[in-house]
Amino acid sequence: MMNRSTTQGTEATSSPPVHAGIMGERIESAPVPLPMRVAIIGAGRGGTALLDGLHQISTIEIVGIVDRNPSAPGLKRAHELNVPVYDRLSDLTQHQRLHLVMDVTGDPAMKRMLHEQLPAGADLLSGQAARLLWTLMQHEAHLQAELLHAEKLAGIGSFAAGIAHDMNNPLQLILGLAENLAEETDIGTVRDQARDIIEAVKRTTAICRDLTSYSRRASLRQEGLISVNGKLDEALKIARYAVALQDIDIRKRYQPDVVVKGNPDELLHVFVNLITNAVQAMADQGTLTLETAVTADATQVRVSDTGCGIAPELFGRIFEPFFTTKPPGKGTGLGLYNIKSVIHHMNGNIAVESQVGRGSTFTLTFPHDSAVSERSAQT
Amino acid sequence: MSEFKSGFFIGGEQSNGRVLVVDDEPDIRKVVRMTLHKAGYDVLEAENGAKAIETINSGENRLLLDVMICDIRMPKVNGIEAITYFRENYPRVPLIVLTGFPDTDMATTLLRQGVVDYLVKPVEGEKLKASVARAMEQRELAHL
Repeated sequence: MMNRSTTQGTEATSSPPVHAGIMGERIESAPVPLPMRVAIIGAGRGGTALLDGLHQISTIEIVGIVDRNPSAPGLKRAHELNVPVYDRLSDLTQHQRLHLVMDVTGDPAMKRMLHEQLPAGADLLSGQAARLLWTLMQHEAHLQAELLHAEKLAGIGSFAAGIAHDMNNPLQLILGLAENLAEETDIGTVRDQARDIIEAVKRTTAICRDLTSYSRRASLRQEGLISVNGKLDEALKIARYAVALQDIDIRKRYQPDVVVKGNPDELLHVFVNLITNAVQAMADQGTLTLETAVTADATQVRVSDTGCGIAPELFGRIFEPFFTTKPPGKGTGLGLYNIKSVIHHMNGNIAVESQVGRGSTFTLTFPHDSAVSERSAQT
Repeated sequence: MSEFKSGFFIGGEQSNGRVLVVDDEPDIRKVVRMTLHKAGYDVLEAENGAKAIETINSGENRLLLDVMICDIRMPKVNGIEAITYFRENYPRVPLIVLTGFPDTDMATTLLRQGVVDYLVKPVEGEKLKASVARAMEQRELAHL
């Protein structure tokens, strides 16, 4: 059910062509630079930051990482990212065709040792230079988080109609019942209406709680196991402030107990964005399908709509920053760009299939290293 | 007395008029009905625009409906679509919008289209009754 199709024209010949891609790559071919092969020495905070940062750059290949401390955090992260972990420094530095060795141990003795072991043609980055690089990567991660938060806050502006609707309805009930209670003499009716008022206040409180929770800044360190089905349901609750879901046929095809590892606030934002885009593509009428599944290789999440689809000439650009087809003031053009960044940080990828006039499907795939069972989440 | 005027009898009880409340929230229909019922109005309910159209086209409602109170954000046929339909097919039935979202542009457009009032929830009972009374006057003037 969840096998991703990357072929074109799988439908009947009379159907519009299917366009598919991963991570927003352009359809036209471009010269691909050879990867720069780097080795990371030291798997503490600096090494972990380098792993996370360099892993996202397609022109860099991390050939391995090494640390004296077998419980260094970067080694665990390397396993998650499928980066080879070496037991001995010499095994890594003798790696064939190494371009750059990055020493982030901060140990002056290590620098001398590496100079002696450095293979021909490889450069060494260490000391203050490595520290500067680490600082820049941390700064970039901070900017990325700021961008995500800014885009989320910009999106909340479109929630106004939904919030007003959902807040003012219970307020109308409270006001009407309170006015009636001022004259009501039947104690049974008074009790019933007092109970209705309490329920209405709880509804209003829940709206405030959902929104304050959603709008908060995602903590960079707040990573853990996330129940995907629960997060999709939470995203639906939030998305209904931004778009009208009344006339949307929502179909949930959840495999039970699907869990991935990542930042729950960021994943919620990803799902809210995908659902909001899907409903907008359908002009508030159509079928929204949310699917989760665990395959032999990975955990997958699919968000499908029966909307207008993506025009072929725009298909390769949708993940570019500031690219939007919405009218001025209606979209930041950062939604899909941020989604791609979050999913990539989770070591996953995002693929799109679309047919003009038929709809689109966004498939998120998380490799099994970052996907674990619900049972392990509970334990 | 004209059959369109207020003060007619329905089911043996005197009524000040018949009001159709269109809102997808049962709680809203409940409090509006409570408020208007106390003021002597006969209140009909519909949960969306499609049901409202069905209601007004059934039985004696085509002739006896005096005022319609309509929400905007509703499933199936939304308030805007329902209002357009009623303005075209029942131009003599005054319309009051009761919405949760204060939208100045929409309010201006709807008032230009002949909507009697654009009320934003939460609205006090007295204000709602005054608005319905104004709509009733307009209804009676339309039939003079």
